[in-house]
Amino acid sequence: MSALDIHAAPRRGLPWSRVIGSVLLLMVAALAALGSLVVPGDPFAQSLAKALSGPEPAAPLGYDHLGRSIYHRLVHALRLSPLIALAAVATAGAAGLILGSLAAARGGWIDRALVMLADALLALPGLLLVLIVLAMMPGTAVGFWAGLSLVLWVEFFRLTRAATRETLASPAVQASRLLGFGPAYVFRIHVWPEIAPMMLTAAAFGTATAIMAIAALGFVYVGMRAPAPELGLMMVELLPYWREAPMALLSPVIATFVLLLGLTLLAGSREQ
Amino acid sequence: MSLLKAEDITVRDGGTTLLAPLSLSLEPGEPLVVLGETGSGKSLMAQALMGTLPPELQATGHVALGNRELNAGDPDRFRGLWGREIGVLPQEPWLSLDPLMRVDRQVAEAHALVRGLSRRDALARASVDLDALGLSGAGASYPHQLSGGMAQRVAIAAARAGGARIVIADEPTKGLDAARRDDVANLLLTEMGETGGILVITHDLALARRIGGRLIVLRAGAVVERGTTREIFAAPRAAYTKELFAADPENWTPRRQRAATGATVIGAKDLSVARAGRTLFSGLSFEILAGGILGVTGPSGCGKSSLGDALLGLVAPAQGTVARTPEAHPFAFQKLYQDPVAAFPRKRSLGKTLQDMQGLIKGQQPKIETLLDALGLDPRLLARRPGAVSGGELQRFALLRILLRQPRFVFADEPTSRLDPITQAKVIELFVRTAVQDNVALMLVSHDPALIRNTGDAVLSLDPASPPVGGELAETTPAASFGVS
Amino acid sequence: MTALAARLVQAAMVAVLIGIATFVMMRSLPGDAAWRIAAGRYGYDNVDAAAADAVRAELGLGGPVLPALLQWFGDLLRLDFGNSLVTGQPVMEEIAHQLGASVSLALVAVVLSLLIGPPLGILAGLRPGGVLDRALLVVSTGLKAVPQFLMALVLIVVIAVQMRWLPAAGHGELRHFVLPALTLALGLAAVNARIARDAMARIAGMPFWSFAQWKGLSERQVLFRHGLRNISVPLLTYLGLQFVTLVEGVIIVESIFGWPGIGHALVHAIFSRDVPMVQGTALVLGLGFVLVNAAIDFAVRRIDPRQAT
Repeated sequence: MSALDIHAAPRRGLPWSRVIGSVLLLMVAALAALGSLVVPGDPFAQSLAKALSGPEPAAPLGYDHLGRSIYHRLVHALRLSPLIALAAVATAGAAGLILGSLAAARGGWIDRALVMLADALLALPGLLLVLIVLAMMPGTAVGFWAGLSLVLWVEFFRLTRAATRETLASPAVQASRLLGFGPAYVFRIHVWPEIAPMMLTAAAFGTATAIMAIAALGFVYVGMRAPAPELGLMMVELLPYWREAPMALLSPVIATFVLLLGLTLLAGSREQ
Repeated sequence: MSLLKAEDITVRDGGTTLLAPLSLSLEPGEPLVVLGETGSGKSLMAQALMGTLPPELQATGHVALGNRELNAGDPDRFRGLWGREIGVLPQEPWLSLDPLMRVDRQVAEAHALVRGLSRRDALARASVDLDALGLSGAGASYPHQLSGGMAQRVAIAAARAGGARIVIADEPTKGLDAARRDDVANLLLTEMGETGGILVITHDLALARRIGGRLIVLRAGAVVERGTTREIFAAPRAAYTKELFAADPENWTPRRQRAATGATVIGAKDLSVARAGRTLFSGLSFEILAGGILGVTGPSGCGKSSLGDALLGLVAPAQGTVARTPEAHPFAFQKLYQDPVAAFPRKRSLGKTLQDMQGLIKGQQPKIETLLDALGLDPRLLARRPGAVSGGELQRFALLRILLRQPRFVFADEPTSRLDPITQAKVIELFVRTAVQDNVALMLVSHDPALIRNTGDAVLSLDPASPPVGGELAETTPAASFGVS
Repeated sequence: MTALAARLVQAAMVAVLIGIATFVMMRSLPGDAAWRIAAGRYGYDNVDAAAADAVRAELGLGGPVLPALLQWFGDLLRLDFGNSLVTGQPVMEEIAHQLGASVSLALVAVVLSLLIGPPLGILAGLRPGGVLDRALLVVSTGLKAVPQFLMALVLIVVIAVQMRWLPAAGHGELRHFVLPALTLALGLAAVNARIARDAMARIAGMPFWSFAQWKGLSERQVLFRHGLRNISVPLLTYLGLQFVTLVEGVIIVESIFGWPGIGHALVHAIFSRDVPMVQGTALVLGLGFVLVNAAIDFAVRRIDPRQAT
């Protein structure tokens, strides 16, 4: 059996799923960033006469029920929630990383208190927390950022804490400490290489979770307010007109799916 | 008539031959031992006989069992033999029992499902089987509640419950203490009886000698030597067999114990260490002098590794003190690990790790190139990660890394237990030579009493069952001394 | 015992967090909250300054923060959630009404997901890299990228609007269960299947799996006697963690399909700033998670003797 170990050499290079995921995300990002430059237009301008009419050069995806260009609303929507999501993930990731390594390195009551807090947050549905924070915050975008950060840091914290604890207890770290290396070296050489791949996965999952949450709450009218161009809100507004203008509804549906699929593929499996 | 006859068994991976044509026969009441190191193809041979080779490997040859003829290239046909004709005693049986099922059920299910006994009869038979193996009352236990030796006996009962007359035992002593080796051999021989057959695959010379019968020595997929076990052990003919036997710690020439030259580097006074509330040892006092080697041995769990960790300050002693020589710098006390892969940064090349070490130490220090040369390491290995070099090479890299620190004391924790005997002999020889040359105090820990006996200036046995050994050594060898109160 | 203690601590922390969050929510209500609450209780025509003052005093809205917080937690401790600001009914009664509808929907969804996901996952895990394994990977990855509301939208458009097979909304009959439960079940099954697949592949690579075969057991016997029990441990553990996903799904799906459950009520309560209702529903959901996971801890201990010590 040991003769077979050579066959079990780790595979090099990116898995295909991550490549496809990155390509999908680049496509969405390109549409969001360059969409208004390619076809200039206003996502808020209404022309009721054109309501639910089909595509034309100034509005490549046709018009919604209020005669607004779906293309331009989509381009704006693809900037809005991904940006909020990225901001929340950045905040949550930094907080989780710092608190997680602090808890693992210090142990004691800091560790216990943070774990208790994280466990309690874990028991609460994320959407519930986001909704409560939204109810208290003045602006919807800021509310989403704060609420999502509050929800998402737990995952980063748990991952960082678990990996850091395991690494710090390993013979490799013991050996480095015996040889005289300090905490900075231990973190940079031992801990970070173990955490970094997990952080990418968690960040991709977190971004997907955040985008889903914003769209889901938009879809049930408790998220972003009209007339803001937001993916979930667009879908629920266009749902009644499905028979007259199927393309109008399908545009945000497909865009959302591509965005989330890209993130899911980029995340890869949790076991990695 | 032979129980099993295998003719021209070969194993290939595409164009590479992993096992050259090998024929063997298994006679009733006469064990057959296949001896070889890792990579010798001995496990592949067993897998070919059982039809369990991974699908990417191809086998050829014929196996005759009673009046049945089987083609080794058609592994699916072998499945019907499992349990009924051939029983397999797996490596590390405590991992081979279902953790969520009572052990009597695991024996009974073979009686019921393979031999067709009723549920009640099967359980009764299982209980009889376990009683016969000295496991009365253990039937209601779960595997994690059993010791390694008990799990092995359950596994052999389960393997044979289907009625198999032939038992194939693949490395049956893997993961067991040296003291358990004879138990395993006796168990296998009893199970075989007058009419059964056993095929034992091992790298363990003591086990092979104890099993007796006939012996095949394998190396790199080819037979080196075959004959009766007794004759080969008495007078090996092939050069490789001779080298293999010479590498057995039992056959090492004992080191000439040296007189004291250096000062005391590290010492323990009235030391007790406890783990999880259990006292591992107590009242231990000894000193190790520069250039002296203290060998520590004992069964697993006796606290021999904890003793080293206590000397290094990694474990707080329950009682007593550890004294280090005041003139040594704080990082002059170092450790070599049982699994060197786990002791290096996993994702960093060896070269970078060694450079980090060099960057850490200002002032005079040995050159990496010089040390590579002295330890017989190829500089090209520096580009590799720890997982991509052999165990023997990595253990030498571990030594190189701590030599950069110019250590005064090294605690080597089972440093060769995962290496093949020939590599083990070379690595231990290197460690000893380095310790003596550089005047380093060495504490060598091993589960193998022969290795310790033939290596240490003084020997400390932590076996709780037997009194500490080596009293006369303490008097005659001042290079390391100890006393136990 | 320590596991039970840990769950109790978790439950207490959940209550504290919800208590603080809803207290802050209460204090930060825009406008004259007391007036609004009084209006909610007695109707806009019957509100006067005296009624508003009474509410203000009752809820400690005007006073200093600390005594008000203590009063708030005191009420929480006595399980006195007060009355809904919207309907004026006691919060406990409202929740008792809605909980049944939610629990039945969630149970149907979980059972449905367990019928779909794990069997496929086990079959895939027995042949890693096989056709089924790869197909399952593609389908489950795709499904994981579909949020529940999008799944609901697709099912409504295809099955209710285009095919006209089932009603898009409603409650009370069996057929009303199909779409909301299926929406939830597909998302859960996508994950269940992966968990079961990975567990199966891992277990099939373990020494005890081969040893069971070597004893002479057939593939099917090995799976039923040694596979399923071992798979159930990670699957159950994961099911407990999935409870949060399930609750989030219930919140969204109930709102979409007009299902008169606790999730629907929660969204309404937050939307109308009905703080006592928010507190009550949030507490029920949070403690529900702790309760379900405590039950799962217990079940896992029964199955796996190694964890019982």
